[in-house]
Amino acid sequence: MCLNTIDLVHAIEIKAMPTRIELKLSRPNSIYHPSAVEIEAMPTRIELKLSRPNRIYRPSEPLQGKIVVKSASSISHYGIRMALNGSVNLQVRGGSAGVIESFYGVVKPITILSKSLDIKPSGKIVSGTTEIPFSIILRNSKEDNLERFYETFHGTNISIQYLATVDIMRGYLHKPLSAIVEFIVESDRADLLDQPIPPEIVIFYITQDTQRHPILPELKSGGFRIIGRISTQRSMLEPLSGELTVEASAIPICSIDIHLLRVESILLGEKIVTETSLIQTTQVADGDVCRNMTLPIYVVLPRLLTCPTVLAGPFSIEFKVAIVISFQSELSKLHPKSDPRTPRLWTAMETLPLELVRTSAFDSNAKD
Amino acid sequence: MEFKPRNYVAEAQSHALRRTGADLHPLSSPSPRSILRQADDHVESSNSEEFFDPLRAPNSKASAVIVDGQDLESISSGNEDSIQVQMKEWTSFKRFLMQRFPVSKMISVSSMSNTIVRSGKAYEKSSTSMHLEELDDIEKSSEEGAKAITRQEYVSRLHELKDEINRAWHAEDRVTSLKLSIKVARLLMDTSVSNFYPTLFVLATDVLDMLGDMVWERIRQKAEFAEDGTKLCSLPENFGASDVCVDAKETCYNWFCKVGSIRELLPRIYLELAILPCWRFLIEQPAESLQRLVMMTRGLADPLASAYCRLYIAYRALKFPMYDTGSLITCVNDIKLVFTRISSAKETAHGCFADSKRSLVGLMEPAIEFIMKCIFNDASLRQVGQVLVELGLGRSQEELFGGSPCVSIVLHHLLKELPTDVVSSHAVDILHLIKCSNDYSYDQCLNYRLLGLRLCEQISEIGTVDAVVNEVMQVVSQYGLDEYLKVVEAYLDILLQNQMDGQLKTILEGILKLACGKVIAEDELAGLQSILVKLLSHFKDLENVFSLNHFLQILDLMHGSSRSIVSMHILDMATRNGYVRDPTTIQLLFEISQALHDDTDLANMKNDDNQQQARLISLFVRMVDHGAEYEGHLAFLVECRGAFGSIIELKEFLVHSSNCLATKALKDGKTHLSFVKSCIAFSEVTIPSILGHIKQLHLYLETAEVALLGGLVSHCDGLIDSAISCLQSFDWMEGSRVAVDSDRILSFIRKLCSLLVMVPGNPEVGILHIPKSILSLIHSQSWSPRMKARIFCAIVSLSATLSQGRLPYHAVHPEILGNDLLFFGDSSYVHELLSLTESVLQNLVGLIEQEPSQAARGSMSLEACNCIASSFKLNEHVLPICSKLIETAKLCLSPNDKYLMSTISFLDKNLPIAAVSPAIAI
Repeated sequence: MCLNTIDLVHAIEIKAMPTRIELKLSRPNSIYHPSAVEIEAMPTRIELKLSRPNRIYRPSEPLQGKIVVKSASSISHYGIRMALNGSVNLQVRGGSAGVIESFYGVVKPITILSKSLDIKPSGKIVSGTTEIPFSIILRNSKEDNLERFYETFHGTNISIQYLATVDIMRGYLHKPLSAIVEFIVESDRADLLDQPIPPEIVIFYITQDTQRHPILPELKSGGFRIIGRISTQRSMLEPLSGELTVEASAIPICSIDIHLLRVESILLGEKIVTETSLIQTTQVADGDVCRNMTLPIYVVLPRLLTCPTVLAGPFSIEFKVAIVISFQSELSKLHPKSDPRTPRLWTAMETLPLELVRTSAFDSNAKD
Repeated sequence: MEFKPRNYVAEAQSHALRRTGADLHPLSSPSPRSILRQADDHVESSNSEEFFDPLRAPNSKASAVIVDGQDLESISSGNEDSIQVQMKEWTSFKRFLMQRFPVSKMISVSSMSNTIVRSGKAYEKSSTSMHLEELDDIEKSSEEGAKAITRQEYVSRLHELKDEINRAWHAEDRVTSLKLSIKVARLLMDTSVSNFYPTLFVLATDVLDMLGDMVWERIRQKAEFAEDGTKLCSLPENFGASDVCVDAKETCYNWFCKVGSIRELLPRIYLELAILPCWRFLIEQPAESLQRLVMMTRGLADPLASAYCRLYIAYRALKFPMYDTGSLITCVNDIKLVFTRISSAKETAHGCFADSKRSLVGLMEPAIEFIMKCIFNDASLRQVGQVLVELGLGRSQEELFGGSPCVSIVLHHLLKELPTDVVSSHAVDILHLIKCSNDYSYDQCLNYRLLGLRLCEQISEIGTVDAVVNEVMQVVSQYGLDEYLKVVEAYLDILLQNQMDGQLKTILEGILKLACGKVIAEDELAGLQSILVKLLSHFKDLENVFSLNHFLQILDLMHGSSRSIVSMHILDMATRNGYVRDPTTIQLLFEISQALHDDTDLANMKNDDNQQQARLISLFVRMVDHGAEYEGHLAFLVECRGAFGSIIELKEFLVHSSNCLATKALKDGKTHLSFVKSCIAFSEVTIPSILGHIKQLHLYLETAEVALLGGLVSHCDGLIDSAISCLQSFDWMEGSRVAVDSDRILSFIRKLCSLLVMVPGNPEVGILHIPKSILSLIHSQSWSPRMKARIFCAIVSLSATLSQGRLPYHAVHPEILGNDLLFFGDSSYVHELLSLTESVLQNLVGLIEQEPSQAARGSMSLEACNCIASSFKLNEHVLPICSKLIETAKLCLSPNDKYLMSTISFLDKNLPIAAVSPAIAI
């Protein structure tokens, strides 16, 4: 009833003041050329183009690229400036943080890189397309007072991000023109192990007795046994590999999945807030597979969502791998969309720590 | 009026061409000189016309050019050629897959296939809303349960998706392309409508292939061209990862990362297979990933899904320039495990478990077939050994088949692909392998059969024929008829070529024993047919086949179309080598023909399928020769008439044949008048049953001639009477071929008239009884005036001839006197002829007046005029008629008409000198 009255009031108002929209063109003769319209609509455009399409750079390498300015008319400016910023942004929300910490919110970011330099002194940019190349060394070996260059990472609570910004100063009368682009930092080759990392392989057994959560009675009594092995230290560029074999299972298997988990920890005062989240699920068995047949585990690590394991003072980024076996059960149909990490009556699982390491590029990996 | 007297002998002499001796016999071989001349002509003509004959051997220059061209091509694109061949094979394989498994019209679509059910428009929305919708959809469909759509809708939806993917790709929206492709691959997870799965597989892989090709092209582009379009390098055909720039590698790696992040196993495998060739940009040994994918496929528990996934692996592996067949062998071994698992599975809730097992095996069969083909593609002997060892069949290169048993369906396709040499040199070992590989997946006897067929490819190479045959004989001795036939048929050629008569006898005995006293099924009939036909084609002489023990007994057990086919083969063989003279053979063939005739659908005698049977039976009757046994042959003809009543052409032949028989008997001089009479009686009785009046008329006439030849005047009269009454009963309204028929009838009547010259007139019924009845016939029929006029002319000519003192020809029989002798000097005879002719002439003239068409009237009057002028003396009675006719013709035709002019000159010549009439002289 109430809503209706409001509607009525609106209607009356609209009637009282009929809205009129008028479109006025800039030229009285209404003649425009297609190109002219475009230029007037977008007067000046500035774009930052990095030399590498994948935007991956190492700290020891110079960040190269060009500033592309497209303008209909010439622009006079007070200088072109470029700023590079890198920081670890920490945010506490949900997870194991308490209510107070959640309110507390953002923790002060850790600056890794903050650089600003002039590319060009004041002058004029002619009309048309102008390209201004630049090359900036990321890490200056002399001023090594800042944080180390962590690799780019985008997590739930922690994100490590590097941004390049360009500004064209045009005085107070004009808005400054600016563009911003994210570039990705990977560890230096020099810092890496040249040797392939030693294979650290863990053998796992998953049976009704290894489960730390309650399971269905028929699972308990019928029994199952899945064995396998998986590498727990892995180069970023190689897939996570291993194998598993279903030796026995009284109840038919529904699916076997490998969950890749990330564990982000932030030091908050005296307390460490840890958040575990799922990055990727990879199914290795669909249905009740043959017994005693070796199935490969092959998980391609997603880019950007993973980074080398970091154990810094104020924060840490670690990874885990979970092998989850779901058995066929009527119960599972009642929870079609459940969080895969939650232990269920019809699942069995094994979680193992996973250390990710940056090694040299895949050229060298491919050779061995 | 007066008939013109004729001296036929003098006329014949004056009109005959002068005879001269010929240098050459026209049929003798031509002299070399004339050949030379012909050759010259040939050269000239070919030079002048520059005619290109595609069949003529090309001159050496042209052929050399062609060969060169081919060589160049084959060198440059040898690899591409083989790839093209493989692609063609794949295309035909896909078609076969779609057609092999019939699908019911409606397909229930489980919750998995939202992609299909939802309309295409949803994809244009932003990715976030799409995500939400997806969530909704899953909930919705799980509530609603399975939906059903038609097969056609499903297929067209997939085509739409394909277009969508293509469009998104070219709009630089590659992420959408990939997303949609993943959805398509996901469809393959649903095996609930198992008969539709092959079709679905074909459609989905089609989409994935397209995506794979597009990705390949993109990365290749990246490797060969810089971002601004300048060409960096051109990748050689056999490039390696080291030839590829980092940028392209980066993109390529990205694709594998994207594909690798797909959660579900099956779409992840399919997508990686789609872009499998791209591993070449990244690593030096790209085929290594194949082995991993094979292993990953083991994670697919559904037997159907895993089999088709392996099929796709085998197909995508072809894209590599070279790869180890090892991974494909792993595929086969894994499939073997799946089969073992299916066979050991306990009876579940499903009722007809065995049936569903069988249909499942049938659905999986194409996958095995294709993988086997890929494994043995151009395999060398050593490689074959390797494969057999790896498949667990052989122990070593020396002992290729010593190992354990094999799943029979796998064995079947292995056997299909093994090189002929290996099969023939290891026949006994393979037999043992088949013996110990007996399971639900494939009928064991079909494997025995296949081995036989494979061995037949190179019979001379089989080392141990006896051992093989003995083994097989032992195996089949346990079988029922169907299996027995299937196996035996395959080995028959081996027996025949090696002249193993004893074994052949045993086999025929075995067949007879198994087939006796049971209803033979359709399949078994086909088997019997094939065996008997093989025997027939092996032996050159029919008598050898008939003398085989049990051959005829087995034939007697058969029925239906199979029996007919064998019978036709027998008849074909019998009639191929000239006349059939042996009485027992004739009797046998007659019985066979009779059975064939009875089996053939009588109602559809006009059917094309049955033409062949009719033709063969007629041919057989024609080829039967009883020599001097005339009575015997006539009896045979009588039998044939009774047995093959529905073959029209045969009846016609029977009449000819009996007439011919009578003539032969008469010529032999031993004048068996009673035999000739019975021949004529046979003909006379047979003719009315022949369809088609024209045929009947001619046969009557032919028989009448024979009767006349035999001196049987009353028979002859009777036959002519029958012919005329047949003509009377002619139904003019039937059919539309009146024009053709009227020509034939005219020619028949003219022929009859010429026969009547010889037939003595019968005073009892009136000497002109027959011409009179023809005339009355003319009046009663509604024939065209032209035809009637011509018949009148014929009768005028006949009368004029009969009036002559000496007839132009006489009957051969000495006891028959012509009318010239019978009525010599009888004025009443001539008078009767004249009076008949006069009335005919009146009718004729009146008829011409009636003809509506001018041109026809003109030529008709000329015809009549010619006839009259050659029949009568041109006196005052006749001349007016002639001049009237000429006037009519002049009115109707142009004065330059050749016929008109020659007729006028003919009249002039025949005018009595005194009575030249100026009217005609013009």
